[in-house]
Amino acid sequence: MISPASPDDLLALADSILERVGRDGAEVTVVHHDEALTRFARNQIHQNVAESSRRVRLRLMGDEQVGVAEIRGEVDDLQGRLIAAAEAARELAPGGDVTPLPRPDAGSDGPVAHSPATALCTPEWRAGQVGTVAAVSAVAGFEAFGALQTSMTQTAIANSQGVRRHATTTAASLICVARGENGWGYADRHHHDIRRLDAEQVAQEAVETCGRNQQATALDPGVFPVVLSPCAVADLVGHLADLGFSALAHQEHRSFMRPGERLMSELVSIADDASHPDAMPFPFDDEGVSTRGVSCIEEGVCRSFVHDSATALREDVPSTGHALPMPNTFGPWARHLVVASGESSLDDLIAACDHGLYVTRLWYVRDVHPLRTVITGMTRDGTFLIENGRLGRPVRDLRFTQSIVDALSDVRGAGRERSIELDESERALLVPALGLGSFAFTS
Amino acid sequence: MREIADLAIDVAVSSGATYADCRVVQRGIQAMTVKGGRFAEVSSFEDEGMGIRAIVDGAWGFASVDRLDSDSLRDAARLACRIARASARLRRQPVRLASAPVATGEYVTPMERDPFEVSLEEKMDLLIRTDEAMAAVAGVTTHEASLEFVREHRLFASSEGSLVDQVIVESGGGMDATATSDDDVQTRSFPNSFGRHQLCAGYEAIAAMDLAGNASRIATEAVALLSAPPCPTGRMTLILDGTQAALQVHESCGHPTELDRVRGDEAAYAGTSFLTPDLLGRFRYGSEQVTITADATTPRGLGTYGWDDEGVAAQRTVLVDRGVFRGYMSSRETAADYGWTSTGAMRAESWNRIPLIRMTNVNLEPGESSLEEMIAGTEHGVYLETNRSWSIDDRRLNFQFGTQNGWEIRDGKRLRLVKNALYAGRTPEFWRSCDAVAGPSEWRPWGVVNCGKGQPGQVIHVGHGAAPCRFRRVSVTAAS
Repeated sequence: MISPASPDDLLALADSILERVGRDGAEVTVVHHDEALTRFARNQIHQNVAESSRRVRLRLMGDEQVGVAEIRGEVDDLQGRLIAAAEAARELAPGGDVTPLPRPDAGSDGPVAHSPATALCTPEWRAGQVGTVAAVSAVAGFEAFGALQTSMTQTAIANSQGVRRHATTTAASLICVARGENGWGYADRHHHDIRRLDAEQVAQEAVETCGRNQQATALDPGVFPVVLSPCAVADLVGHLADLGFSALAHQEHRSFMRPGERLMSELVSIADDASHPDAMPFPFDDEGVSTRGVSCIEEGVCRSFVHDSATALREDVPSTGHALPMPNTFGPWARHLVVASGESSLDDLIAACDHGLYVTRLWYVRDVHPLRTVITGMTRDGTFLIENGRLGRPVRDLRFTQSIVDALSDVRGAGRERSIELDESERALLVPALGLGSFAFTS
Repeated sequence: MREIADLAIDVAVSSGATYADCRVVQRGIQAMTVKGGRFAEVSSFEDEGMGIRAIVDGAWGFASVDRLDSDSLRDAARLACRIARASARLRRQPVRLASAPVATGEYVTPMERDPFEVSLEEKMDLLIRTDEAMAAVAGVTTHEASLEFVREHRLFASSEGSLVDQVIVESGGGMDATATSDDDVQTRSFPNSFGRHQLCAGYEAIAAMDLAGNASRIATEAVALLSAPPCPTGRMTLILDGTQAALQVHESCGHPTELDRVRGDEAAYAGTSFLTPDLLGRFRYGSEQVTITADATTPRGLGTYGWDDEGVAAQRTVLVDRGVFRGYMSSRETAADYGWTSTGAMRAESWNRIPLIRMTNVNLEPGESSLEEMIAGTEHGVYLETNRSWSIDDRRLNFQFGTQNGWEIRDGKRLRLVKNALYAGRTPEFWRSCDAVAGPSEWRPWGVVNCGKGQPGQVIHVGHGAAPCRFRRVSVTAAS
C-alpha cells in the first residue's frame, strides 16, 4: 500500500465540498482504496499488482432533479469540476421522483471488518505465502494456480442533512486450484484478517481434492441428492438473494418471495446481517444509513425485504440501510448474507446420502427463469459420487439446471461449521455446507 | 502525459527494471437513464491515473496510482520494481517477450459527431421519447432507456522507445421493457440485452439505433410473451439473430482462443481452453461456413484501436478458417512461448489494471445466405433473438444459452411467438452443424460491454461482427 489517507482527511474533503456547494440537497462520498494481488500459475508468480486510488462522488438534488458526478484521481480543481459536472447534470435532468437525502440515525460506525495486519501486508509476505502453497503442491506432484489478495478501503459519507459516517475495512482472500495429470482440486479462504488465512492448510485441501479427483469418468445426467460445499452454497444463495430479497424486485413484481408463505425447508434461514463479526461487518450503506439486520427467510418462510431510501419511501417504512450509490435503477442489495448453520459435520452430510454427488465448486451460474429461481451452471474442480454414505469416484463436470427454491425445499442437513465465501459478484457470504434431496443435472 | 510516462519509466529502469512500460489514462464517462417516466439519472465520471509494469530479475511487477505528482509517480515505479523482485522469488524461468517493432503514432476513433458535443437536452429528449413510447403500450410494467458515452485518452510508452497516443470514443444506448403477470416476468431489450449496444463511434451510432422508433414494438413483444406458448422441445433447426450469434462467438470461440488461458494463467478463475496448440491447423472447429477472425481494425467495432496496451499494432488474426482452427489472440509474453509474434490483443480496463489478453472484435465472417432464406429452408425449428441467459464451462465446451424471444418455424414460415427458449450443446459439434451464415447486408458489429476476466477483475468492452446463422439438429427446450 502506498500511503493510506486518514479518516479525518476523507471527512474533511467531504465537508469542504459540502461547504462549497453551500445549499441543501448535497451528498458527498469519498472512497480511498488500496489493493494488492499476487497471482500464481504452475507454482510460479505470474502477475503481481498494486493499486492506490481515491474516488469522490457528489449527488446534487434540487427542484425535483438530481445529478451525479464522480471523479477518480487527484485532478486539478477537483472540487470545482465535481460541483460543475453534478450541477450541469442536475439542471438537465427531467423532474421526477427524487428521494430525499437521509437524516442522521443513531447507528454507530461499527463493527467493521478491519485488521491492521491485512493493511500492512507486503509483496514479500504475499510471495512467501504463495511459496508455501507452491511447495505443498509440488511435494504432491501437482501444480498450483490461484491468487492472494489484500485490500483496505476507507469510506466517508457526508450530506447536507448532517449525515457524517466513516469506516475503514480490510479484506484478504486466498484461492487455490491444484492441477494433476488428470484432474483439479479447489480450496479457498476469505477473511478481513490475513492471519486467518492459513496458506498451508488451503494448499493441503486443494491438493487433497485434486488427488481424489484424478481420472474422472462421465456420469449420465439426472436428478441426484447432493452435498454442496460452502463455496457452492454461496453461489446458490447469492443468486437467490438477487432474485428476490430486494424491495424493488418485490415492488416491480419480479421477486419470487411471497411474504408469510413457506417455500423452503425449515432448515433454511437466511438473513442479511451486516453486524455479524464473521461476515465482513460494515455499519452503513451507500447513503450513510445504518444497516439493520433483515431476516429474509426464516425457517423456510419468506419474511422481509432489504430497502434503500427510495423503496422505503414508497412503502412508508424506514430504510434498512441496503442502498447502493443513489440514485440507481438496480435497487437495494443484500450484501452481508448469513445462512443458518445446522448440526452436521461435512462427514455427517455425506454419510446421510446413499447415492448422490458431492460438489466442490460451481461455475458460471446464470438465471434461466428468474421468477421461478431457475439457474444453470457447471460444477468444477472436484465433483464426486457419494456411494453408501462415502465419497466415491470422481465424475466429470456436469451442467445443472435447477430451481433454487425447489432445491432448498428439500434440505436433508446443514453443516455446523460455516465459512466466509465470495460469490461471483465478490460479495462475502457466511454459509455452511448443505445436503439437498434433489438437484437436476442436465448435461 | 508524456512527461509522466518518461519519469515513471526512468525511475523503474534506474531501479533495476530490464523492461518497463507505462500507461497514462484519462477517461470520461457520461451516462443517463430514464425509467418509468418518473425516474431520471444523469451522471458523469472522470478518471485519471497511471500504471507502470516492470520486469526485474526476470519477473513482473505492476503498480498504479491516481496521484500524478512526481513523488507519487516515483513511489509507484519503485513499488512496481519491489513487487517484481518479490515475484522473482517464485519464478523458475525469466519472462521473455516476443520482439515487436517500436511503435510511435496517434490514433483517434473515427466519428461523424462527437457525442460529448451533443447537448444533454438532445440526449434526454431521445430517452424521454423512447420511455414514453414504451409506456404507451398497455401491459408493460417497467421500462427504461439509457445512453452511455466514453472518451478515453491513453498514452503508452515503453523502455524500448514506443510512444503511442490514442483517443478512443464509444457511444452506447439501449432500452428494456418488462411485462409481468401473477406467474411470469418477460423482458424485451433493444438493440441488445444487458444494458445497451455500444460501438467505437460518435453519436451517429445512437441515431442509427432508432431507439424511439423501436420502443413500441419492443414493449408490445414483452407483453405478447406473457401469453406466448413455451418454446418447443427436441432436436431441431436453430437460427440465431445477430446479437445471439455474437454472444455465441464470444463465449465459445473468443475466450478459448485467448492464449493466456491455454497457458493456465487463468486456470483458477476464468478457466482454461479446449483449444490446445497441438490442434492448430488440423482441428475441425466448425463447418466450412464458419470463419472467425479477431480484428482490431473493424470499423466501429467496440474492440477497435490503433495499438494494444503493449504498443503492438492493431491487426486481423484468423482464428477459424472455413471450419479449421488456425490461431489465437496473444500477448508478447505468451507468443514468445511458441516462437510467435504478438497478435496485439493485450488490453487493460484502465490505468489501474495490468493488460491481459482480451478479445478485440472477434467476428463471425459473413456468409452468403439471408435470414429469410434460412427460415424458408427450415422445415421445423426456431428463430431465437436477444440473449437472456448464458453459461459455459471453464474449458468452453459445454454451453447453455437462453433468449428473450423465439419464433417457431414450420414449413419455411414463422408460425408463432414462443418464450423461455433454451438451447444447449458442445462447442465443436455445434459449430460443425452450422450450415448457413447471412451475408454482408445483414452483418453488423455488435458490442459486448460486460466481458469479465482476471484477478483483480477487469470488465472490458469487446466487439463481435455477426449476422444471423443457422444450425441443424440442436437440442432446444423451454425453461420451466
